[in-house]
Amino acid sequence: MHFSEDDLREALKRKDPGEGFTQRTLIRVNQARVNQAQSESKPVPAMPEKKSNGFFMSWLTHRPAWAMAVVGMLLLAFGIGGYQYSEYRHAEEMRIARANQQQLQQEAERARDQAIMALEIARAKMNHVLQHAQLQAEPNNKIRRERL
Amino acid sequence: MEQTAAFEDDRLKQALTLSLNGDAEAFADLVREHQGMVFSIAYHYLQDRSLAEDLAQEVFLELFQSIERIQSPAHLTYWLRKVTANRCIDQGRKKSRRREMALEEAPEPVTASAHTDPMLLDKLQQSLATLPEKQRLVVIMRFQEGLGPAEIAEVLEMPVNTVKSTLHRSLADLRKGLTRKIREVRYAFF
Repeated sequence: MHFSEDDLREALKRKDPGEGFTQRTLIRVNQARVNQAQSESKPVPAMPEKKSNGFFMSWLTHRPAWAMAVVGMLLLAFGIGGYQYSEYRHAEEMRIARANQQQLQQEAERARDQAIMALEIARAKMNHVLQHAQLQAEPNNKIRRERL
Repeated sequence: MEQTAAFEDDRLKQALTLSLNGDAEAFADLVREHQGMVFSIAYHYLQDRSLAEDLAQEVFLELFQSIERIQSPAHLTYWLRKVTANRCIDQGRKKSRRREMALEEAPEPVTASAHTDPMLLDKLQQSLATLPEKQRLVVIMRFQEGLGPAEIAEVLEMPVNTVKSTLHRSLADLRKGLTRKIREVRYAFF
């Protein structure tokens, strides 16, 4: 279907917005003017007091470089402290192990001394028994020799 | 004729000056003078009477707020066309976000002159509503406002050649759309 440019002009003819459009527009403009005047005359509301985020947070936001340095220092201190503590624990364990070994050694020496003493006592007893046995055997030998 | 135009120009110049000084009646005169143009651009673009009226009022409100920037009646017309076109695009996008416009609900019946087919005008308006935003505005500026390609290019901030090609494409699209609609109507009846 064909249409001419005149048809298009006719279809797009200017339309009247209707009765009272000017009035409604002016009311809206006046309303905007009143609102603007009110907002200009109204005292500027004070900024609501911002809830503090704490000293550290405010410092962090205002001095980020310093905050980073402090955080770095703290991390370094924690690292060094942790290393020192592990070293201390290791030395303590070594000391306890050495003490235990020393105690065992002392006990072993004491046991050896006791064993030596026991052997000495046993030897003395044996000598004593042997002497007695020799003394009893001696007269019999004399009689036998006399008989021979 | 020229005398009348010159008189009209003087009257608008005076109204502009008085509006700048806060004269409400002079501003009302400016609104009355341009309301048909602003409302019609919005109405032909949006195809919705209440949205078009709302948009036109917003445009005049913006005019009131920036009237000191208007230098002459010609500048006022140019400014109003430009602001209306921009607001139409914004409003159209908002509207399409809310819902897609059904073609059937778009146009209002047009009052045709004696020698034009009212059905054709109706279908033309329906087809116009289906054009992309820039094409629609170019067609409105050309056939409602009677602007030339250079003037349209200035108002819509487009190169003149783009305006010409857009206009050509729009007319082709309108013809295609119209043929399709007529075929649909024929199928429905026969």
